[in-house]
Amino acid sequence: MTIAPEMTDVHAIVEQVWSSFLGDEEPLLPAYDADGPFGADDAWSSAVSIHGGWTGTVTIELSKNLAFSLTRLMMAMDESEALDDAEVADAVGELVNMVGGNIKSLMPGPSALTLPVVAAGRAAHSSDLREVSRFDARWAGEPVRVSVHSPS
Amino acid sequence: MAPASFELIASLVLRETSIIYEPRKEYLVEARLHPLSVQAGCSSIDEYVQLVMRNPVERQKSIDALTINETSWFRDNAPYQAFTETMLPALLAARADRRRLSIWSAACSSGQEAYSIAMLLDQHLPPGWTVDILATDVSTAMLSRVQNARYSQVEMNRGMPATSLVKYFNRAGTEWEVVPSLRSLVRTRHLNLAEPFPMIGTFDLVLLRNVLIYFDQPTRHGILRRIHPHVASDGYLLLGSSETTLDLPADLNAMWDREQIGRVQAHRPATQAASTIAVPRPHPHIASGSLTGARP
Amino acid sequence: MTQRAMIIDDSRAMRSILRRIITGLDFETAEAGHGQEALDLMEAGFAPDLCLIDWNMPVMDGYTFITEVRKRPEWRNVTLMMVTTESEQGQIVKALAAGAHEYVIKPFTPDAIVEKLELLGLSGKGIPA
Ligand SMILES: C[S@@+](CC[C@H](N)C(=O)[O-])C[C@H]1O[C@@H](n2cnc3c(N)ncnc32)[C@H](O)[C@@H]1O
Repeated sequence: MTIAPEMTDVHAIVEQVWSSFLGDEEPLLPAYDADGPFGADDAWSSAVSIHGGWTGTVTIELSKNLAFSLTRLMMAMDESEALDDAEVADAVGELVNMVGGNIKSLMPGPSALTLPVVAAGRAAHSSDLREVSRFDARWAGEPVRVSVHSPS
Repeated sequence: MAPASFELIASLVLRETSIIYEPRKEYLVEARLHPLSVQAGCSSIDEYVQLVMRNPVERQKSIDALTINETSWFRDNAPYQAFTETMLPALLAARADRRRLSIWSAACSSGQEAYSIAMLLDQHLPPGWTVDILATDVSTAMLSRVQNARYSQVEMNRGMPATSLVKYFNRAGTEWEVVPSLRSLVRTRHLNLAEPFPMIGTFDLVLLRNVLIYFDQPTRHGILRRIHPHVASDGYLLLGSSETTLDLPADLNAMWDREQIGRVQAHRPATQAASTIAVPRPHPHIASGSLTGARP
Repeated sequence: MTQRAMIIDDSRAMRSILRRIITGLDFETAEAGHGQEALDLMEAGFAPDLCLIDWNMPVMDGYTFITEVRKRPEWRNVTLMMVTTESEQGQIVKALAAGAHEYVIKPFTPDAIVEKLELLGLSGKGIPA
């Protein structure tokens, strides 16, 4: 049997990260888009791995629009200021770091957290990893998916 | 939102809690109801208000969203410092024969106030003493939170010293749970401050913080009158930092002494007013019907 | 005298969030992307009253940074506050034992930082909070 974080716990963690940094005027709404809510072209993804008492990978995928607007919110920049990819990568990386660190604390420890890896595009998972938990949501109409993979 | 919807919601909240939402606070009501409205699948706030009027579950949710539950551990810090440094030593001396303290967190919200006091007592109460902490609120959702004694990461960050976090909490999934030894000190009870109080006894310390500001003046005055017999004659009443400056009518003013302790002002039952406690004299400027502050 | 804070985090976005909170309290700030960079700035003369320290960072992590600062008597008055996603009870105990004064778990709201600094008696202006 694989030990996996509960979907409700993943939801609670994502919700807290969202409302702390992105304000709570706009709620994060759970969504159920079976095929994944967005195309590969306009997505960003970031991942951290957990090694130790429990081993797995936490991944966040989100639409490019969402990646840009949350970067602007975190950096307190307005629409007129240009954003470069490094800034978006940094913000999206910090997001998965916060979610991943909190998921780590739910699992058997002690474990260590890697630094985030960020890419433009959807995430690719190696074939020896299996998805054990997933949370899909929309924020201001834009999709975000948080998934947890662990070795099968 | 439409003025009619605002009026419906404002009068609902007033009826249930005595909390006043003035017409210029429409934006606040909208901001607080918006997430609920979206969650319920309504296309506008007005549509959601209609739902609230028909649906008791949504009604309770909207009341809970509109009672401001904002709180934190050791809120404002100074009152808690004054408690450990001045009030507690004085009470320990005064109660040396009984060795028992009782404390009331009126308008306890999710319980941070009650458990903050419980932590200080755990650290400073000499062996052989007992303590009873009563936590009351008008919101039943808040009372069950106090009983569950579980707090999110975000709530834990707000004012909880790291040393106390590791000492008084255990991890419970994504939340932190107060240890049983502290939970056993706190009991809860439903109590609407705007109505006559049930028999709850007297307390050595009453915390009535950050709640009077939401009421109109007659309600505030009514509460300060009715709470008087529940504060021991040598006990303390602590209000929120913005609430100590509220204007009081002369007779009510005479019921309370103000004592500056460090950076906080404590209210203490006035010694010469002892005879007026049982039968408060109506103040000439206040209609006698509003003395209790209770609403029909 | 104005108090100084060093923000140590490998994420620019996180440093930006913390900087806005801390400058709002009238602290003067410096930033570092990892523990070694922060030590270098301190060696070079930036004398912080407060350090806000992430745990997981490249080059030198926040835990090592704390143990390094605690080895140096001239830095004994620097207040050290972890601001990290590491949230196991054991990690908090470990950081406190190494010399951290406070611990904030990410995610946090701005109030959390302000309230923790109040607990520590730091307000930015050098007047006790
Ligand atoms: C802002 S919180 C204050 C919590 C805590 N005392 C503090 O200072 O942090 C206000 C609380 O008052 C409660 N409240 C509002 N109206 C009330 C009433 N009529 N009777 C009792 N409690 C009431 C709310 O439910 C809420 O939990």
